[in-house]
Order: sequence, then structure tokens, then C-alpha cells
Amino acid sequence: MNQESSLVEMMINMGPQHPSTHGVFRMVLKIDGERIVDVEPHIGYLHRGSEKLSESETYSQVVTLFDRLDYVSNFNNELVFCMAVEKLMSVDVPERAQYLRIILCELNRIASHLLFYGTYGLDAGAITPIMYSFRERERIQNLFESVTGARMMHNFIRIGGLKEDVPTDFNHRVGELLVKLSIAIDECDTLLSQNEIFLSRTKGVGVIGAEEALAIGMTGPPLRASGVVEDVRATDPYQLYDRFDFGIPVGTNGDAWDRYYVPMEEMRQAIVIIEQALEQIESGPVIAQLRRIIRPPQGAVFAHAENPRGDLGVYLVSDGTNKPYRVKVRPPSFCNLQALKTLLRGTYLADAVIILGSLDIILGEVDR
Amino acid sequence: MTIAEFGLLNLWVSGLLLVLSVVVLSLIYLERKVLGRLQMRLGPMRVGPYGTLQTIADAIKLITKEDIQPEWADKRVYWVAPVLVFIPAFMVWIAIPFSSRVVVQDLDLGLFYVMAFLVLSIVGLVMAGWGSANKYAVIGGLRAAGQLVSYEIPVIMVVAGIAIFTQSLNLSYIVDQQSSVPFIIVLPLGLFLFFVAGLAELGRTPFDIYEAESEVVGGPFVEYSGAHWAVFFLAEYVSTFAIAALTALLFLGGWGWSASIQDWVGHPVGSEAIAFFEMFIKTYLVVLVIFWIRGTFPRFRIDQLMALGWKVMVPLSFVFVLLVAFATFYAWPWWVLSITNVLVLGIMGWYYYKRMHQDPAPFSIVLHSARKVRDAR
Amino acid sequence: MLGNLKGMLMTFLTSLRAPVTAQYPDARMPVEQRRMGFPMLLWDDNIVEPYCTGCMVCVRECPTQCMSATMKDNPKHAEGVSHRRKIIDVFEINIGRCILCGICVDVCNFDAIEMSYETELSTRTRNGRRMMLGELLERGSNWQEQSGWMPTSQRNQEAEE
Repeated sequence: MNQESSLVEMMINMGPQHPSTHGVFRMVLKIDGERIVDVEPHIGYLHRGSEKLSESETYSQVVTLFDRLDYVSNFNNELVFCMAVEKLMSVDVPERAQYLRIILCELNRIASHLLFYGTYGLDAGAITPIMYSFRERERIQNLFESVTGARMMHNFIRIGGLKEDVPTDFNHRVGELLVKLSIAIDECDTLLSQNEIFLSRTKGVGVIGAEEALAIGMTGPPLRASGVVEDVRATDPYQLYDRFDFGIPVGTNGDAWDRYYVPMEEMRQAIVIIEQALEQIESGPVIAQLRRIIRPPQGAVFAHAENPRGDLGVYLVSDGTNKPYRVKVRPPSFCNLQALKTLLRGTYLADAVIILGSLDIILGEVDR
Repeated sequence: MTIAEFGLLNLWVSGLLLVLSVVVLSLIYLERKVLGRLQMRLGPMRVGPYGTLQTIADAIKLITKEDIQPEWADKRVYWVAPVLVFIPAFMVWIAIPFSSRVVVQDLDLGLFYVMAFLVLSIVGLVMAGWGSANKYAVIGGLRAAGQLVSYEIPVIMVVAGIAIFTQSLNLSYIVDQQSSVPFIIVLPLGLFLFFVAGLAELGRTPFDIYEAESEVVGGPFVEYSGAHWAVFFLAEYVSTFAIAALTALLFLGGWGWSASIQDWVGHPVGSEAIAFFEMFIKTYLVVLVIFWIRGTFPRFRIDQLMALGWKVMVPLSFVFVLLVAFATFYAWPWWVLSITNVLVLGIMGWYYYKRMHQDPAPFSIVLHSARKVRDAR
Repeated sequence: MLGNLKGMLMTFLTSLRAPVTAQYPDARMPVEQRRMGFPMLLWDDNIVEPYCTGCMVCVRECPTQCMSATMKDNPKHAEGVSHRRKIIDVFEINIGRCILCGICVDVCNFDAIEMSYETELSTRTRNGRRMMLGELLERGSNWQEQSGWMPTSQRNQEAEE
């Protein structure tokens, strides 16, 4: 009996260096022929000690750490931390700053979802979608460079508002960009979404039900793809999101195709939000008048926001000094990754890559 | 055979090798450029004018790389595998004509010879997978074997159908038979089957699962480096060109479309040159379509690939042979075949479409209004 | 098959567009006005000395601790030429550690440090990752000439006028 079982199962290591694990992530798969029997994920290859480092850095310096958590959606991460500190200090952020934050965060959402689209196409074997999506990301990153000075790690959203006001041609540039992005999103959609080969790779693959997804603690597009209407922007609005009217895409099957298409629809809804924000924005200050050295009162606060990957939460404990006492980050990719064992059991080896890609993880967040 | 004939044959074969090497170099360059254009980028531009010498640079790099052999690999099998993949790919070219006189050996059994030699490379791939002591290589090699063997059947059936229709296996004769109507109009089902099964034979996207980079990194080729890998790579491009040339010969009319121009030129070398040129253009167009497909589609999973092969391609190929056999036996006019082929293609396309889009909604995403969700809280 | 064919049509139409890539280093993408490249130290042309007094605020506020500095007594102050009592003596930025966040620029009290447009900083020497005072000042004065920079106090004065 023992000899039979040892002949049947084979261990395959999809190691830290692999073209399709999105970052340094190791999956040890036990396969039986072509079927996966069990999976053991190994994380921690990108652990940089962000939470511990933030205990010895001042609040303005911690913002740079948060930039680098989920390194494709920088503005969203900075926003969550600044919201936490502002909540603790009861700071009134000026309206213009909030509108601009929303515009920048939604643009970053589009950029992040474009990256997801490109790399997911690459996982499935299509080599052109990534070029299309990175072309559009270049446009967005050029706009970011004109506003903040950096294409990726911006360090722009400060406690109390923004670092400085946007340049004078910002509205015009964003309007032009949105037109081009709409056309590009439709092109990307035509290329991959209804492609029969792509459909047969992703439809019905990696199905997870709504109750199970909620029990595991998934958030963001994977949860919405399973049919749960849960979006922090609608259920717990922050930063003026209650002034906008947009749609929340929710899937019905909970398979990989739904998890792929929900971000595509979210991109279109992000364009809707940005257009509304551009209409409603008015001139004014962009930062609240705070002291140079930020020293929140003692206490603890939890703030969360809708990142492109899910619900990023920050639990901040302050002891009255200019450095945080404890910063605990609740990363969406880490919690979504818990579903891997359930999703992969019983599927094909070739589906492991598709399912992992559809969860849209960024290892910077998972490992912090 | 006299010494003179033997020497002449050697000259032909050496000329063929030379021409094929240059063609393969140009194909690799063309693929990179075409893929680049499909992806809105430039492709190779630095090495040589507009990057034309890029392939030579790649070849030099591959040849000067260190040739690593895994310690536990079966040395003889490991070494012989590339040779067994490479030689049949080149042997096929002896019987493929590029005009009525530009051919190394105009065999009467030309089509049969080509098909027989195309199949031989499967053994080499399996040996490559087995000879490298690597789990991924074994998986890739077995996948390759299954895929290639199962897609041989539609190819051979289509070729048999054409042989029945033209009552000959001689490739030049088949081209002559298409002087009035090319077979793309008479036998579109055959073209579809031959092209798709040919793509699967070559291991090109969307059927490149066994050498898929994102899963089994390289498949049976994963342990090969340097010159050995270059041999595999070369063999793949030579086979691609062979399948494209066969498509042009069997379905696109070969060199028959410029027959009037050839007669007008009159000069023996001149008209052969025009025929060669036309055949060349057609083959390159088919190759461009192959690259275009590569740039657009994701790849099939291995079980979907096998299902497609056995459940769709094989029955259709039998239907194709039956249709051609009936038409030839009862001497029906050619347009009957045309219509029946298109009908079968249409029915199959409609059925496949229905199966793929079984969802009641065109897409399964519903938009909920955020305002309603907010107000409900 | 329809989705497949639509996808093929899409790629075909794309291939007719002009490529969007630029051939680096022959062609470079345009630089935005606010680009944050590597830091540089600015030079006071009026008094012919650096703006930097070595107060070490930027060194303290840097998240990655990539800078080190020492100050010295300013000889020009003793002569009565300059209003700066102390002046920078040794200044070093480690290229490998700087994350280009711009915090040093925000906290500087003397407008002495700015982010240049320079991002192509690979080196082949062993100590090439350290940038010392001389090179920092040279980059700063070049940038000042090119961009017509003036210090905040002068800018405010001219705005009032």
C-alpha cells in the first residue's frame, strides 16, 4: 500500500523564480498525473519588515514605506495610512485635496488593473495584451510624473492633504487621458475577453462560492466575482465617495473569468468616477495647516479603503510621540491567497497558473 | 546513377541546405518584427540595418554557449534527440517543389514521402524529454508525444482526401490540377483542417502547451543549451516553412496563378523565376498568418487540445475524406464539393459557438449602483 | 469563432499603427517639469559658496539614512562676506540607498537641496555609489543655470514687486 501511494503522487515545485507566479512566491504542488491533490504555498521571499521599520520612523517617513507595500497601487496605500493618522488626529482635510486624492487613486486603480490584465493574458499564453495594457500604463504614469515627479513611488499624499497642488493643465490632461483610456479598455476587452480559447481556459475554472469566500476573508474583485456586493467605497464611504454615483460590478459564477472581468468593468467605472470628480472639483487649499512634526494623541484607530486588490486596512496605535507605536497592515492579497488551497484542489496542473493569476496578488503586500 | 548525376544531386542538396538556412534566418527575423508590429513596438533594430543581422548574432551566441549535459541524463539519447528532430525536417524538403523545375527530386510519391518524414520528428521529441533527467522535461515530452500523434490523423486524412481528388501523389501534378480553380475554393474544409492540424504539429500557439514558458518552462527542451537548443529551434522553423509551403502547394494553387505571365515571358529561366517568386510570396503569406495567430491567441490546455483533436478534427477529417471520395466516385462537379465543405464548416462553427457561449447572459457580470448600496446601509 | 476573429482583426489593425516605443538611448522620453531625480546641492552665486549650512535636518529626516554630512565654521562669515555662520564641509549621498522620495527637499530650511532630473546613475567603479559634495554642487549649479532657479526669498520679493 505504501509503495503504491508513493508512486502515485509527485511533488512539483513552482519555485520562487517562475515566469508566472506574480512575484517571488513558491507553491509546492502534489500532483497525481495531471490533477493537483494538494498545494502548500510558501511566502516570505519579499519580507522587508515594513511593520517593524515603521515603529522607528516618523509619520512622514512611514508614508514612503506604505508606497512600497502594493507597489502597483501606490496612491491607494498612501491614502489609507494618511486616513488613519487623520482620523486619529481629527484633521479636516480640505475638499480640493480629497477630490484630487480620489482622482489620483482612481487613476492608479486603472493602472493597477491594466497590469493585472496584461499579466493575466501572459499567464494564459497570449503575448499581445500585455503590450497594449502597458502602453496605457505609460500614459497614466506620464501624467503622474507631471503631478508628483515620480512614475511609481510618489510620496505625494501627505497627512492633512497633498504635498502640493497639481499643475495648471491637470484637468485638461486628465480629460484627454480619459478619452484615450476608454478606447484602449475597449480594445483590450475585444482582444481577450470573448476569445474562445481564453473562455475555455477560464470559464468554470477555480470556482469559489459566496459563503466560502466570505468565510475565508476575501475582499475586492475576487469576492465581488463570487456574487457578494461588498465594496468599501459604497458600504463605508471615505473621502467624499458618497458624492459619486458609479456602478459596482458583481459576478455570478465565481470562476476565473468573473475574477478577470470584474476588474475590467471596474476600470470603466473608475473613469466614470474621475469624470464626476473633475466636474465637482473647486479651487482651494490642498493641505490642512498642521505642525511640522506630526504627533497624534495617544490611541488606536482602524482605517480601511478599497484598494485595487481588495480591502486594505491599517490599524494604527500611537503613544503620543512622533513615531507610531504599532502599524498593523491588513493586506488584501494575503487574505485572498488563503483561498488557494480550496481553489486548487482537484484542478489540472495547467490551471494552477490561471487560478493564481486570477486572484491578482502582489507579493509586496503579502509579505510586507 | 553516374558520378555526374550523383555530383549534381549533391549540388542540389547543398544548395537546398544553404537556401533553407538563409530562409530560416529570415523567418526568425520576420517573426520578431511581425510580433513587434502586432504589439505596437519595433522589434529588433540595433544589430545591422533595421536589425537584419539580429538572427546571426543570436546564432553566434547560441553556438558559443557552454554545452551543459545533466549528470544523470542518458548521454546517447540526449545527444541523438536533436539530430532526430532536425534531419527529418530537412529531408522533407527534398520533395517539395517551388516551381515545376526547382525541386531536388520530383518524386511521384511526393506527398506520401513528405507526410512520412514529417512524422519522424516525434520520436526525437520524446527522446529529448526522456533523455534529460528532469520532471518537467518528461511531462513536456509526454504531452508533446500525445499532441503530435493525435494531430497527425487529420493531416494524413486531408492529404489522403487530396490524393483521392487529384488521383495523384505528385506535388507538381497537384499544382497543375489547380490551374482552373485553386483548392482553397473547392476544399475549404481541407484547408482549415490542414492548417489547424499543421499548427498543432509544429507546436505553435495556440497549441504550444508542451513548450509553454509559463508552466513547464521549456518542456522537453528545458535541459538543452547552446547549439543543441539551436538545432531544435532551427528544426521548428524549417518545419513551419514546410507546412506553409505545403499549404501553398496543396490549397493556394502553387505557382499556377501567374501561368499567363510565365507564358508571356517565354524564357525558360525567366518563367521559372516568376513561378518561384509567386510560390515564395504565397508561402511567406501563410507564414505571416501563422505569426499573426501566434500574436493573438492564448494557448489551449492539454486536455482541451486533445479533446479538440479527437472530438472535432478527427471526425471532421473523416467526413472530409468521405465527401471527397463520393464526389470523385460519382464525378460530381467541383462546386458541389465546395458547397458541402462550406456547409460542414458552417455547421461546425455554429455548434462550437453555441457551446462556448452557453451562458444565458452574454457576460455574467452585473452592475450594482453604489448609491443604492449606500442607501441600503 | 467570432471572438477569435475579432481578436485577430484587432491585432491586425494595431499592426498598421506606428510603433509607440522609443529607441533608447538615441531617443528619450520627454522630461516632466516636476521630475524627481537624484538630489543635488545648490550654489549661491552671489556669495560664491553652497547654500547648505550642514544643519543635518535632511540627514535626520531621510527614511533610508542615505546621507551623511559634517559642518565647519564658515571662514567667509569671519570675513563678514556671508551671513551663514556654518557651512558644509563633507556631504555624501549613497546612490544605492536613496529612494528619491523628496523628503529632504521638503524639510530643508535653506533651499539648499533640490531633486535634479538625473536618473541615469549606474556606475562601474567600486565607490561609484557615493556622490560627494563636489559633484553634488556641480550638478546643482548646472541645473540652476539651465532652469533659472532663484531662492524662495528672492522669488517672494519679486512676486511682491
